[in-house]
Amino acid sequence: MNIYIIGAATTKFGELWGVSPRTLATTAVSNALKDAEITTKEIEALFVGNMLSGMLGGQEHLGAFFAEELGISVPAFKIEGACASGGLALHNAVNSVLSGQYKTVVVLGVEKMTDHKPEDVATALMGAGSEGERLSGATFPGLYAIIARAHMEKYKTTERDLASVAVKNHYHASLNPNAQFHSPITIEQVLKSSCVADPLKLLDCSPISDGAAAVIITSNPSTVNKKHVEIIASVAATDTLGLAQRASLTELHATKDAGVRAFKKAGMKPSDVDIAEVHDCFTIAEILAMEDLGFYKKGEAATAIARGETMLGTSKHFVVNPSGGLKGCGHPVGATGVKQVVELFDQLLGRAQKRQVSHATIGLAHNVGGSGATATVHILKNI
Amino acid sequence: MLGKIGVVTSWTIIRLPPADFGYQAPYPVVIVSLDNGESMVAQMVDYDEKNLHIGQRVVTVVRRTVQVKTDDVVPYGIKVKPI
Repeated sequence: MNIYIIGAATTKFGELWGVSPRTLATTAVSNALKDAEITTKEIEALFVGNMLSGMLGGQEHLGAFFAEELGISVPAFKIEGACASGGLALHNAVNSVLSGQYKTVVVLGVEKMTDHKPEDVATALMGAGSEGERLSGATFPGLYAIIARAHMEKYKTTERDLASVAVKNHYHASLNPNAQFHSPITIEQVLKSSCVADPLKLLDCSPISDGAAAVIITSNPSTVNKKHVEIIASVAATDTLGLAQRASLTELHATKDAGVRAFKKAGMKPSDVDIAEVHDCFTIAEILAMEDLGFYKKGEAATAIARGETMLGTSKHFVVNPSGGLKGCGHPVGATGVKQVVELFDQLLGRAQKRQVSHATIGLAHNVGGSGATATVHILKNI
Repeated sequence: MLGKIGVVTSWTIIRLPPADFGYQAPYPVVIVSLDNGESMVAQMVDYDEKNLHIGQRVVTVVRRTVQVKTDDVVPYGIKVKPI
């Protein structure tokens, strides 16, 4: 059975104080349905990826909530895996179609988090970590700063190397009309920005954002129109919840595991990939992703990124985070995993406009939950 | 968990704390590899800047974790201090 994406859309990502989660969802889903050239009548199930609706909004039960809002009385599920909620929602949607239970389903990733004080959002996000981490007063920038420090000690990665990830992704974001940030930045601006958790500075960290993204998935050949891309691998993996319990502080085994299994399922290797949307919640996270997914050897990704090897315009072939990634496009937690796939869909269909990667045939999306407790990898192929 | 000795395997300083920890910031959070084979995350207390490095030896201690209202139970937890 082949699984296709036949329509996809995102909202703008940013501080959308005047836009409710209902409007975010309706905008993303209705645009995805229009893109797929189908109506809600064809939708048999709804998968919602979201993390903070309960803690920040007092609303759980999002399957029922959004099914009602979208006017579709179908089986509906909220799937949560911290920042990997979107990727997990997609994975579950793919499995539901592979099972034969449903033929055409919609996946919605949505998050509303900018209406709160930063210290309250920081507390809520620590729900993605372990109790020990919460009791120690850690924050997510803190946990990734700990990873960065270990990586810098072991591989001589520098703060300038970290900064080059942010510079690349802000440049890509400046070409993306839906991105939260619109202007390119410089290495010096990153290095001068205030320290959030040593050694990570403000511009090493992805922002707090609102936004939604939706994709329509089908196995039904007669629902498939001219515009379609095949999902050739959808894989999820798990590691320990807390950072202290990991086998290593400088690699994410969940990413490695998901990557290996995804490439095996797709019958591909890292060098076959033309574009990748990876989980750069912090600059160090993109460096880890490049190594853990097998694009670069351990300790070699940072200098490659700093040399521009994965940037639009300077890359010889392989572009990473053309959407601007989490850093430049924004990171509405539950929406990110779905947005990554929307970007790949647009790129593979040749409609990414100013940020179009030429001859893109194979795309990979990598979504991580917490400090690496959950990882999903999706591989898409242009037919 | 008390009086356990270990070594810092990585560290950071939290400058933008979560809501309850506001009054303590900035403070170091470290990963410790204990001599008994276990690993843990904890705040470091009673430290100088020179103690913030990979390889610093530490011991576990009991400290209050956060400030609470007058009629709440005072919460204690494990932190580490340099030795």
